[in-house]
Amino acid sequence: MDTRKEKFPYGIPGHNLSEIEREIPIEEPPVWPINDKLKIIGKRVNRIDAVDKVTGKAKYTSDMKLPGMLYAKMLRSKVPHAAIKSIDISEAKSLAGVHAIYLIENTQKEGEEKNNGKFPMVKYVGQPLGGVAADSLEIAKDAISLIKVNYEEKPFVIDLEAAMEMDAPIVFDVPITRQADGGDVGEVHDGSKGQGNVRGPSTSSFFGGPRGDLEQGFNEADIIVEKTYRTQVQTHMPLETHGVVVDWRPDMMMVYASTQNTNAVRNEMASIFGLPKSKVRVVCDFMGGGFGAKHSAGSFGPMAANLSKKTGRPVWLMMDRQEEHIAEGNRPNSIQYLKIGAKKNGTLTAIQQRSHGTAGVGLGAGVGRIAQVLYPCPNFATEQYDVLTNAGPGAAWRAPGNVQGAFGLEQAIDEMAEKLNMDPLKYRDLIDKSEVRKIERQRGAKLFNWSRRQPAGSGKGLVKKGLGVGQSTWPRFVTLDSSVEVKIHNDGGVEIRSSVQDIGTGTKTILAQVVAEELGLQVNDITVNIGDTFFPVGPGSGGSVVTGSITPPTRNAAFEAKTALLKLVAKKWETDSSELFIENGQVGSKKDANLKMPFKEATKLMRTSQISKIASRSDDYGGFQQPWGLAYGDLGSVQFAEVSVNTDTGFVKVDKIVAAHSCGRPLNIGQLESQINGGVIQGISYALYENRIMDTGTGHMMNANVDQYKVPYSMEIPEIETLIVEEYSALSSTDAYGIGEPANIATAAAVANAVYNAIGVRLHEIPITPSSILKALNKVS
Amino acid sequence: MNKFSWYEATSIEDALQQVNKTVSEELYQSTNNAAVFKSGGIDVFDWVKEGLINPQKIINIRNIPGLDVISYDAKDGLRIGSNVTLAEMASNSDIKNHYLALHQAINHAATPQLRNMSTLGGNIAQRNRCWYFRSADHQCFRKSGDRCFARHSETGENENHAIIDNGSCVSLHASSISTALMAFNASVVIVNSKGEKKKVLMDDFFVSAGQDIAMETILQAKEIITEIVLPAPSKNTKSYYIKQVARESYDWSLGDVAVVIETSGDTCKSASIVLGAAAPVPYRSVQAQQAMEKKSINNTNAMAAAEAAMSVARPLSKNGYKVPLFKSIISEAILKIT
Amino acid sequence: MEDKKQGADSNSKKGISRRSFIRGAGLSTAGSVLLTTNAFAFGSEEKLTAGKEFGPGATTIQMKINGMVESLSVEPRTTLAAALRDHLELTGTKVVCDRGSCSACTVYLDGKPVNSCMMSVFDVGDKEITTIEGIAKNGELHPVQEAFIEHDASQCGYCTPGMVMSCVHLVENNTNPTLDDVKNATRGNLCRCGTHPHVFKATLAAANKTN
Repeated sequence: MDTRKEKFPYGIPGHNLSEIEREIPIEEPPVWPINDKLKIIGKRVNRIDAVDKVTGKAKYTSDMKLPGMLYAKMLRSKVPHAAIKSIDISEAKSLAGVHAIYLIENTQKEGEEKNNGKFPMVKYVGQPLGGVAADSLEIAKDAISLIKVNYEEKPFVIDLEAAMEMDAPIVFDVPITRQADGGDVGEVHDGSKGQGNVRGPSTSSFFGGPRGDLEQGFNEADIIVEKTYRTQVQTHMPLETHGVVVDWRPDMMMVYASTQNTNAVRNEMASIFGLPKSKVRVVCDFMGGGFGAKHSAGSFGPMAANLSKKTGRPVWLMMDRQEEHIAEGNRPNSIQYLKIGAKKNGTLTAIQQRSHGTAGVGLGAGVGRIAQVLYPCPNFATEQYDVLTNAGPGAAWRAPGNVQGAFGLEQAIDEMAEKLNMDPLKYRDLIDKSEVRKIERQRGAKLFNWSRRQPAGSGKGLVKKGLGVGQSTWPRFVTLDSSVEVKIHNDGGVEIRSSVQDIGTGTKTILAQVVAEELGLQVNDITVNIGDTFFPVGPGSGGSVVTGSITPPTRNAAFEAKTALLKLVAKKWETDSSELFIENGQVGSKKDANLKMPFKEATKLMRTSQISKIASRSDDYGGFQQPWGLAYGDLGSVQFAEVSVNTDTGFVKVDKIVAAHSCGRPLNIGQLESQINGGVIQGISYALYENRIMDTGTGHMMNANVDQYKVPYSMEIPEIETLIVEEYSALSSTDAYGIGEPANIATAAAVANAVYNAIGVRLHEIPITPSSILKALNKVS
Repeated sequence: MNKFSWYEATSIEDALQQVNKTVSEELYQSTNNAAVFKSGGIDVFDWVKEGLINPQKIINIRNIPGLDVISYDAKDGLRIGSNVTLAEMASNSDIKNHYLALHQAINHAATPQLRNMSTLGGNIAQRNRCWYFRSADHQCFRKSGDRCFARHSETGENENHAIIDNGSCVSLHASSISTALMAFNASVVIVNSKGEKKKVLMDDFFVSAGQDIAMETILQAKEIITEIVLPAPSKNTKSYYIKQVARESYDWSLGDVAVVIETSGDTCKSASIVLGAAAPVPYRSVQAQQAMEKKSINNTNAMAAAEAAMSVARPLSKNGYKVPLFKSIISEAILKIT
Repeated sequence: MEDKKQGADSNSKKGISRRSFIRGAGLSTAGSVLLTTNAFAFGSEEKLTAGKEFGPGATTIQMKINGMVESLSVEPRTTLAAALRDHLELTGTKVVCDRGSCSACTVYLDGKPVNSCMMSVFDVGDKEITTIEGIAKNGELHPVQEAFIEHDASQCGYCTPGMVMSCVHLVENNTNPTLDDVKNATRGNLCRCGTHPHVFKATLAAANKTN
């Protein structure tokens, strides 16, 4: 294999920056120095699509209007568990303006319950049963209200603990395999193990299985913390709901989708309808938020396609707010038992974790790998159970499982620190072996002024202040099947193409930055056309994989295109192309400073009208490739929280957060801040506000709207200071990674630890509300 | 929303001739020929969007001339037309100067956008926000159903519900502005289709669930609110309003209180204390008022008044926290009167 | 009616009477014309004295939007948000909660921010509508829009039009806003990406620049 050796920056500037030699494939571009020495990478660069966003010109899937387009609406179950005896569509069919009705029929698949009739069994309120396409959305809604579904209702169970009882109504009497869709849901099992509604456990992750001997570990311990923590169900509530516009033409199925994964939606639609992938085109230009729930075609994708097929017209099918809440994904809840043992000197001797959670009718309700890997501990075991209930299926939600897991573990570590009579930050210095988190603790504590922290509950007065900290880890995930095309046109135009989508994280902008840096141009010189499956396959936006997966191919393709262009210039100048470079829009020569040619002029030397290079990325430099295409490593974070608690009303307010994060080589500081702010705010929301309220007597979600499904608005936003620690690991041509998920993991634990510090009573359950605070303070009789 | 026709009313008489149902009546017993009023429309469109009422006709009373005036007179007090928006009230200096608690209540209500749309008449006439009542899938007593879902001791999701007077319905009146209006002894002026005008104290305008499960106010179909009038406060009257929410930006009340006290030095001559989000309608706490009367305004007496107010509380399975919460805000509001 | 848009005279004070606002049901095509005094003879004497009923079917009405007069055929149950998005393809106005709780559908009605999802298109009457598409004038961005770009005050961007509407209104009506003023102005704007800190920064920066 053709390789070469190069020296890469390695470590953390201002701390331990050094160099490391790596043997890399010969075609990889030369080493980028640290950001200080780059022009566009690591700077504040305006989002390239910001003008479209601030003027309202950005067209999202929900904004699509095609000639002849019909509007569709889904028919959904109103009961939580039933067999469908019949569905009467006669009235709906004859309503003026209705063009097609499609009912989902039972296609008995292996492993499904056998007692199904013509229609599938209903397993939760909101399960899709069919759809209507009409001239307007109002008519489609009218038609849905005219459809009569005759149910044979069955006993159901909604509550997690009730479902765990042996005599609980059984949700599925067969093994099930339905996973929460997309993203990373950790190690999975086949849903056949276990009894009743309790399936599993999952005992291992890609970090391996149990370690050591728990019993021995606890025997060696001087101090034990043993607690149960609880987290709620959280729904994604992206501003743009799930949905598609499908235009199924004779020769091509065109799908406009609000998706985090154009490629997956394309593959799914092709597979469902038996079409070659080349006959399905999925496009997502602007996308109004997903947070993990928008990785698949769902049931709405095939529904819109079927209605489009029936009518021969484009069909618009977006969920309404209630549908979004009840049927399009959620973060499962959890009951986590944690037992941690430590020696008097603080050394951890054992960690035992057992969790139960429900992803409704789906699997994937585990609590992640945080307890397994955040702190080295010789004896470890986890059992993570999925409990089936008659509720909408879970879906990946920003750091699936790990957000729940961190809430438990990071409080337990605080409790251990207190028993050891140690400052919680100092205790983490002792047991945490991560270099990057060490620096984050140091720099973060200084910025936050951690030293002002007082003993728990020691504040005077009605409103008590508290400070807390929480930590997290996230692997450097990479999707190796990530490709990009870079085109240089003979008029100087430069274009980037990939199926990768920008879900609001700023992917378009960082791709433009990478190419501009490589080609010595400005960001404005680069056109980014992504989110289209006609272009080379890019990764899905989940697991924080995008930056690490797609920026190296982007740089590689730009480098190859540049090399081809410089060869043309070299020929004209009768020199060697390796002597040439592009800087500030000019081709120059290292040998002869007098040789100059504007980039645009150089592109006129092409024989063809364009240079087009498609590149993917190499395995991680240094041979860290894993068989499944993921790379390990620690994207560490430390978050500090300051809260005020009114001990009379129970009202909690987060006053300040300092969020210290690493993501390898930072690419765009403004966008990183935005994402960290977002992760923090969602974490605060998880800690204090949002909660899916289910009526266990009827199986309905009671707050499936925006005003009563509470998330923070302007006045709930604390002062947030972000601290980005540059860290070079010499793993790829950009050495950059994502931040989306790391930003969301530690916040709830940090807030809960701060609440404890304020009032001296620990809340083991979120959301923390006035009610739970007043109960904790024994003020509720 | 279902298909409905739109009637643009030009006068009170015109409007009253067209109308045949209140939204409440239609919610209780739905028909297919209801013609209902809408002013700002927020509450009415909410019901239509949820499919809980399907009116045949909506009569727009928003543009009827003459109902959008605020006037203040030191002797006669404050008159607010029923079509005055919450935003107009929020920026009115007479309200701010003479009716502080009302000003505070308005500023804690809804969002800037909604305040630009919502009218005072619609605000006080809106229906409660109990999520079972608002759900098309739950037929509760208020919708001629056979049960109260929220009350159920095991399955009832009643964290936000009533702790006082919750014997027949446990919902909460949604208008926190009414809490302040009632504390200022406001009256509602109502005109009927015969052209008769009546002036009803807010205390009598609201109907307890025990009196009539279908209604929350005395308003009948062929009646229209034209204005809300507040007596002029005496020189020594002071007021304060506190609303406790889970989310400050924009939220329904967990508990709110308006205190209007006529003082004499640091003594309370007379007190008007009204609780919001405590009962199905705004609740005048006679207990707290009595506890404060002729007493000096201090911590001990304020706490005693708060205790007295909560002596009638009967919390449900999940809202016991409201008792200490109310005690806190009642005593705090009283102590702000100094 | 021909669908052509020309430069708008947004300062036109001449109102449309309710009668000319609601045209006969015969005109069914959506179209727009320049808002000038010459286009229509709007007489104040044409004010209605008796109520009128419309619908439930579609009626062709005219609305003043971003300095233009638009004709559209709509039912009374059509919300202003739906009219803008589905009939006039002004899709910058977003529908998120559809209940007045998120302010993504914010437009100005005679200069005041309102939720276009919670009103019938028949509520508009002769009031002037300004949508997010009407904030930039003659291709020149408003200082708040500039600042949103500069301070990365949009992530997915779906709440952004509503946020911009709230913040522009603030900056236009308060020459020296504080952070609390910005929070107050955006207290009804839902953002799920958590972009608020940058929205605050951008708006304060824009206010500073405007002064």
